[in-house]
Amino acid sequence: MDIEVFPHRILGSDTTEKLLNDLESLEDVKRTVIHGPRFPKGEATLPEKYQERRVITINGEDVVLQVKTARIFLEISMESTIDEIEEICKKHIPFGFDINQDRSNYIRKQKTVTDRIKYGKKELPDELVGMTDQYSTFDDHVKIIKKDD
Amino acid sequence: MVQIYPGTSQVAQNRRNFTNPEYELDKLREISDEDVVKILGHKAPGEEYKSVHPPLDEMDEPDDSVRELVAPIDGAKAGDRIRYIQFVDSMYFAPAQPFLRARSYLSRFRGIDTGTLSGRQVVEARERDLEKLSKTLLETEYFDTARTGIRGAGVHGHSLRLDENGLMFDMLRRQVFNKETGKVEMVKDQVGRELDEPVVLGEPLDEETLRAKTTIYRIDGEAYKDDVEAVKVCQRIHVSRSFGAFNPVTGW
Repeated sequence: MDIEVFPHRILGSDTTEKLLNDLESLEDVKRTVIHGPRFPKGEATLPEKYQERRVITINGEDVVLQVKTARIFLEISMESTIDEIEEICKKHIPFGFDINQDRSNYIRKQKTVTDRIKYGKKELPDELVGMTDQYSTFDDHVKIIKKDD
Repeated sequence: MVQIYPGTSQVAQNRRNFTNPEYELDKLREISDEDVVKILGHKAPGEEYKSVHPPLDEMDEPDDSVRELVAPIDGAKAGDRIRYIQFVDSMYFAPAQPFLRARSYLSRFRGIDTGTLSGRQVVEARERDLEKLSKTLLETEYFDTARTGIRGAGVHGHSLRLDENGLMFDMLRRQVFNKETGKVEMVKDQVGRELDEPVVLGEPLDEETLRAKTTIYRIDGEAYKDDVEAVKVCQRIHVSRSFGAFNPVTGW
């Protein structure tokens, strides 16, 4: 099952980093999609004091943020995980958030024509379906983070 | 007393404060004349005002009693061009909002033309008068550095979720948050042309102050339905304009 975390404000890099680190530490969270407006072009040319974008570290791996965090989709398997996620969100999102679970899928589970055009006839592993943004390259937008053993 | 706006809530009181020309608005920040000119972007600071007609004194105008009654504003006297400033107010407890702006501008300023849209509010006036009124609008309660945008173009964003630091979405990124000082700075003029030096607008107001100063009824702030008096007046206006002069009892 998928759930959606909908913060009442768009999260910056620092909060995103803290939040994702804690979410990743949950055993039951399989996949995470960050959804939101893209950082503007030319962000890198701005003076440091105005910049919002930076490389964040999740579970020891560097992740280049492509978007500001407006929603987070999480794939989980147990209902009980939702409570844990809620606790984590309460800790990091002081201005409120919603956890939505109205839809059965927030992350797409079926292959589409776009996937076919993009990857050809190659077998696309199930866990990568729905992880990409159809307007960008795969490497830009997907980061595979190993779980701690 | 002039009846400006009905209601017993704080929001209604704030609306009355804005609209009542006798009420003096709090001055929250200091912005120099030169910075105002830079933000407006209609001319370079220090440049002469361009004119579209000779000064009124030099013009041979026809005799007219209304011309004698109404004193022209400074800009009209000098023959300035008409320029504008446009504001965008976030739905998230911005101090002002478009309709209120229109009402209050008309009761506070002379010689202006203002246009209301759902998310933005433009005001036009002769250039030197515009600069004066812009200074008032930027320095007083009308303006919050985070929730209000000065946007001549690319106005989208009043209904979008705020950024974590409280800033309203701005696709041209004119007002940006300086992480080092905690102040909002204007790095572009109102239509998005880069400024040589950023104009420091100041710190955003905190959430509590904004909620106390806002003129927006919101279900998570003060709900309109809870302001019984305001709703009653609104309903009365609705009924009387629906009926017009029609009397349902007599049938005519």
